[in-house]
This record gives sequence, structure tokens and C-alpha cells, in this order.
Amino acid sequence: MSEQTETTSSTAAQRPEVTTDTSGGQPHDKTVLESRDLDVYYGDTQALQDVSLKIPEKQVTAMIGPSGCGKSTFLRCLNRMNDLVDSARIEGEVFLNGQNIYADDVEPVALRRRIGMVFQHPNPFPKSIYDNIAYGLRVQNKEVTDEIIEESLRRAALWDEVKDQLDKSALDLSGGQQQRLCIARAIAVDPEVILMDEPASALDPIATSKIEDLIEELAEEYTVVIVTHNMQQAARISDKTAVFLTGGELVEFDDTNKIFENPDSQRVEDYITGKFG
Amino acid sequence: MATETDPTFEGDAGLWRRKLAGQAFESLLVASTLVGVLALVALFVVIGNDAFGPSAAEPAWFLLYFGTLVAPISVYTLLVRRDEAASSINGLSFMTVFGSLIGSAVVFAVVDAVRPHDVAIYLVFGSLFPAIVFAYARNRESHYTGPALPLSVLVGLVTARALYAPVNSVIAIVADWIMFLVVVTVPVAAGLGLFVTWRWSRRYGVVTAVAVLAAALATAGGAITQGIDPAVWVVLVSGVVGPVAVVSLDTIQRRDSGRYGLLGPWILVGGIVAGASLERQLGIEGLDAWLTPTLLLNSWSSFRPEQAGIYPQLVGSILVVGTMAFLAFPVGVGAAIYLEEYAPSTGWRGRLATALDVNISNLAGVPSVVYGLLGLSLFQNFFGIAPWLPPALGLRPALVIAAAVTLGLLILPIVIVSSQEALRSVPDELRQGSYGLGASRWQTIRNVVLPEAVPGILTGMILALGRAIGETAPLVIIGVATTTYSAPEGVFGSAAALPLQIFASAANSIPAYRTGVVAAASVVLLVTMLVMNSTAILIRNRYENN
Repeated sequence: MSEQTETTSSTAAQRPEVTTDTSGGQPHDKTVLESRDLDVYYGDTQALQDVSLKIPEKQVTAMIGPSGCGKSTFLRCLNRMNDLVDSARIEGEVFLNGQNIYADDVEPVALRRRIGMVFQHPNPFPKSIYDNIAYGLRVQNKEVTDEIIEESLRRAALWDEVKDQLDKSALDLSGGQQQRLCIARAIAVDPEVILMDEPASALDPIATSKIEDLIEELAEEYTVVIVTHNMQQAARISDKTAVFLTGGELVEFDDTNKIFENPDSQRVEDYITGKFG
Repeated sequence: MATETDPTFEGDAGLWRRKLAGQAFESLLVASTLVGVLALVALFVVIGNDAFGPSAAEPAWFLLYFGTLVAPISVYTLLVRRDEAASSINGLSFMTVFGSLIGSAVVFAVVDAVRPHDVAIYLVFGSLFPAIVFAYARNRESHYTGPALPLSVLVGLVTARALYAPVNSVIAIVADWIMFLVVVTVPVAAGLGLFVTWRWSRRYGVVTAVAVLAAALATAGGAITQGIDPAVWVVLVSGVVGPVAVVSLDTIQRRDSGRYGLLGPWILVGGIVAGASLERQLGIEGLDAWLTPTLLLNSWSSFRPEQAGIYPQLVGSILVVGTMAFLAFPVGVGAAIYLEEYAPSTGWRGRLATALDVNISNLAGVPSVVYGLLGLSLFQNFFGIAPWLPPALGLRPALVIAAAVTLGLLILPIVIVSSQEALRSVPDELRQGSYGLGASRWQTIRNVVLPEAVPGILTGMILALGRAIGETAPLVIIGVATTTYSAPEGVFGSAAALPLQIFASAANSIPAYRTGVVAAASVVLLVTMLVMNSTAILIRNRYENN
């Protein structure tokens, strides 16, 4: 799919090539998730500084940056998973369709039913494939039908491989299949947003490319926010990119083309071209 | 100083010295291990010699049993080991036969001691209400089903207590075996029927249940015409023959290879029976064993060692440990779940939880005698018993419930710590995955964490049970009678325990008690503990390899 532009000069920039087609020219860019002045502290350490970001609907938004710069922390703030960490303190606001999710009357469990999450290491439950997908439906008191299971597996491009073995344990699948199962599991409950924390980093290149194809398809139905430390991946699949740099600072957020070809900030330029990180 | 000679691989003196030191060290370690092993072997040999008296048997006896038992079983084992399917079927068969045998024996002994009519009343009421709730809630999705079920059990038990007098007066004249039918045969028939329905079809399930009931009734009829008390046979037929038949038939139908693995336990049993009957027919002098069925089934006698039986103590131990498990396990597992899943790790609540954690681990090391003192003060204050005064003064010895609570406190730290370990071993990613799908903490624990942690929790429970069965000092302190002549009548009857009887026999003036009876009773205790610990290890290994 995409190839890195390589030159022989030692000072030449290795600039990731952007191949997402902004198809249909969608200028509407309705904001579905927005953070305003978000600060996150783990104990006394500040993990995110004053992050303000608007995530558009039904597009793939990528967050890139060096390790430990707060990308995953930000992602976990979007569905209040950081509430589960005792030492985390969150200041600022995050809005889902205009509603502040950190307001007192918001139930985090209900929030996570509208924002799904896929993790870095595939984490299927030690149950059958069918029960894995049905799990989200069952805990949310939704009806479990064979059609929903089949639909979720088809959308995750896994149906053909497992349709005869729905009773098999999910742990018997390969790594790439398990991750697609986790994606199917997340979409079975029909969320509005899917958050993905480095979903392909634990997978081999073939499985990775299958996941990337899947993400592009998913963006037609869902809003996808993906954290990745692989710049080429971000360039390949995202519509918009946010660059976080060390210390939890959001340095730039714009269309993917702009970030990778002509960023405003010099630090971003240095990061993109591999001078550090 | 480069030399042109080729390097050789002969060591110098230093290398050889180090090698020697290494070997000496290894030998020392082997010796330490051997000391432990030899001590264990010496224990088994001494006790076994006293309990079984092998020196009294003729050489012909050993030959006989070699031919009927040892040889067939060895040949069979060699055959089975090579075949994986047969191996697993063999394991299943052994588990079914001996598990159901032991289970039925325990159930019979306990229910018989406590009074079958009482058990029947509580069982019927205690399951009637949940059954109603279950049938009502079956086709209706309701949040209340979950809590309603245990509540209905409670309501059932309370109703049973309230209605006990009138109901009892009605059924008191009904024979014991009919009560056993209700308490054992009906649940077993229902359970087997459900199993067969799940595996095969509804029709076969109904047939199975009816067959078990019919077989039990037929057995009872046959026994009555022969003039034997049918109760034991009813329990044996429904509790042993039923499950074994169902499992065997299911295996034969389902598996296409290795079915001969089903024969394992029968070769063992058949060998023993064949050997015993031949022994009698040919008049061969057998073992001078103290471990006989008499010992296991008779009531105690302090004067005639050949007639002495530990049946009351066996029932007493089972009752005490059973009640203890019922009380202590929910508390222990609940505490572990709170400390691992709910307790915060920061703030003053977090510090409190950490302090609790540390102290519970400390409690696991407190000497058992101290728990006896705790139990003593608890029950002395509540029930006004002064157990150190002899019962002849009209004061009661310790009750089963007192012993159960004391032992429960003793094993509580063990259960908590092992359950915590089991919960900790569940990978955090599974919890994260569950939360990410919009599950609450309770849902996550119930659907993901607990099922994963169950093998570890079970292992901890079994080890705690094994420890409690052998505890003597706390029971002595709270005043459990060391010699009991009849089994406890219930949870509020006076307690009896096997280790205490061993303790008392060792001080009996008649020498046969001090050597023979003590040894035989010790073997029973040892075998029980071995079986329980092996079960715990098997469960742990099986789930660790999954």
C-alpha cells in the first residue's frame, strides 16, 4: 500500500507518505468529542498539559508522538477509563456531543456504552467466540441474537474464518484474529465512538494491514480515534492527526496531509522527519 | 608472551577443586531432601505396620493378592498410559466411581446422624421457594432474579423452621428410607436427568430420571422383602449406581476410542473382592489389621479394642468441618474480593486496606491453640459453658457449632490469602476489556474475574479444609469431648472429632489402643488429608495448564 520515500542522502528526511483519500470532500467536520483545557495528574506527575482538541465525526483521528507523551492517557480520558486508576486526577472538561462527561450526574458505565475501546494487546475473555461478542450485549441488557453476532463478525472481517467455530474458545485464535474479535466485540454494542490504543502494535505485518483496512472501513460508520507510535500507519489511515510531544503537550492538530507534508511547528517537523523520538 | 602451543582442555588444580566443591554441595542438598523423604517413609512404615500388621500374613497371602490385584492393575495401567483417550476416560471413571462412593457415604452418614426427617423438611422448603422464583422468572427478564434466588432460599429455611412442629408430627411416622428417597434420590435423579438432557435430548433425560427413581424404589422393595433396612441401599443405588451408569453410558456412546478406560476402577474393586473371597475359601492367613470395616462403622468402646469404632468421630469431623466451611468460606472469599477489587489503594482508606492486608497475613501464622482460647472466651461468654469442668457436673461439652466457629476463625486467614492470590492472578487486561464494554464493577467481577479465579479459590478452600480436619489443640481447649460414643445429632449437638479420639486413645491404659487403634485411626486421617491435598493439586495443575 504505502511505501516510505527513501533517499540515499544521510540528511534526507524520511517523510511518511499520506495515502488517505479524503473521499467525497467532507467539509462538515461535526465535532463529536471535544476536550477543553484538559490536565491529568498521576499523583504529583503531570501527564497531560492543557489539551484542547476537537475530534470530528466519522473520521479516523490519529494521535502520534514519542513514548510516554500522554497519548494513551488522553485516549483513556475520553471514556473515563482513568477513573479506574486511583492516583489519577483529572481537571478540565471533555464533551461528548456537547455534554460534559465529567459532570457529576454522568454515570461512567453508561458513558462507556457509547464509547468503545480496543486495547494494545488483544484481550479476549476466556469464553467462546460467541460469548465474547455477546458479552457486551449481555452486560448492557441488550438482546443477543445470532444476527447481531454475525453482523459484528462480518464488519470485523472475521466471519468467514470463524463462522463454523463460534463455540470454540477465543483463546485458540491467532493474535490477529483475537484483535479482530476484540474489535467485533466493541462494535457489537453499537457505540458512537471507537477508541483504539495502538491496536496493531502487537501484531505481525500481515495482521496489521488487515486491521488497518478494517479501520478505514469502520470510519464509515463510527468515529475512530487511534493512538499509534507508528507514524507511517497514521499517515496511511488517518484523516486528522494530533501530535503530542513529551510532557503531555498537544503541539499540533490538523489534517493528516498538512501535518506530514507541511506542519506549522518546527518541533513537529523534527519529529516527523525522525530527528528524535 | 604468546605461546604457539594449541590450547588444551585439561583443567588445572583450581578447576578441579571448584568442581569437587560443586559436587559436594549438590550431595549435601540431595542428603537434605532425602532426610525429609526418609522421615515421611518412616512415618508411613511405622503407622502402616501397626495399622495393617503385614508381618502376620502368610507369604501365600501376598502371592494371592499379587495375582488378583497387583498384576492386573499394573498391566492395565501400562496399557492405558500409552493411549491418551483411554487415559482421560480412566481418570473420569475413577473419579466418578470413588467420588460418588465417598460422596454417598458421607451424605448417608451425616443425614443419618442428624435425622433424615429434619433434613428432608429443610431441604424441601429450602428448594421449593427458589424453584417457584426460578419458574416465574424464567421467561421474564428481570433484575430482581439475581438477589431473589438466595433470598428465597432463606425464606424457605425460615418457613421450614416455623412450620417444623406441625410438619414433623405428620411425617415422623414415615420410614427413614422414604426420607432418604426425598433427600438423595430425587435430587440425584433430577441432576442426572438434566445432565442427560443437556448432552443428549429431553426424552433421554426424562427416561434417566425415571430410571433412577424406579431403581431406588425397586431396591427398597427388595430390601424390605429381605428384611434389611433399605435406607443404605437406596442411597447407594441412587448415589453411586446412578451416576456411574450415566457416565459410563455417556462415555460409551460419545467416544469412539479408548473406552476400555472405563474398566479401571472395576479391575481394582474386582481384584480386591476376588482376593478376599479366595482368601476365605482357601483359608489363607491374612493381615492382622486394625483398619477394618469394624473400625469404620462401629461406635466407640473404651474397653474392647476389637470392637472400637470411630464412626461417631468420623461423622463428627465431617459435621464440624462442613459447618465450618459453610460459615467461613463465604466470609473469607468475600473479604478477599473486597480487598482485591474494591478497596482503594490511595488515601486513608487505602492505608486502612493495606493495614488489613498485612494483619490478615499475620493471623495466618498464629498458633492454633490461641484460636482455641478465642473460641473458649466467645462461647463461654455467650453460652455460659465451662468446658474444662467434667461433663458429669451437668455442664455440656462443646457443641458442633462452637467447634465449627473456632476452626472457621482459624482457617479464615488462609482462605482470604489464597483467594486474594487467585484474584490477583487474573490478568488486569481482562478487567479493562470488560470495563471498556460498559460493564459495571460488579458485572466485571461476576462474569470475568471470579470465573477465572475459581480454580485458585477452590484450591485454597480444599487446603484449608484439609488443615481443619487435622486440628486438635483448639478443639481440646474449647472442650470438645475427646471420647464420644455416638454421633452428634446436629449442628447444636455435642461435637466429636477424629484427631481428638486419636489423642485420647494414645493415653488409654490398654496397649492395643495405644498401638493398633491409634495407628488405624491415624491412617484414616492421613488418607483423608492425602486425598484432599491431591485433589487440590490436581485442580491447580489442570487449570494452570489450560
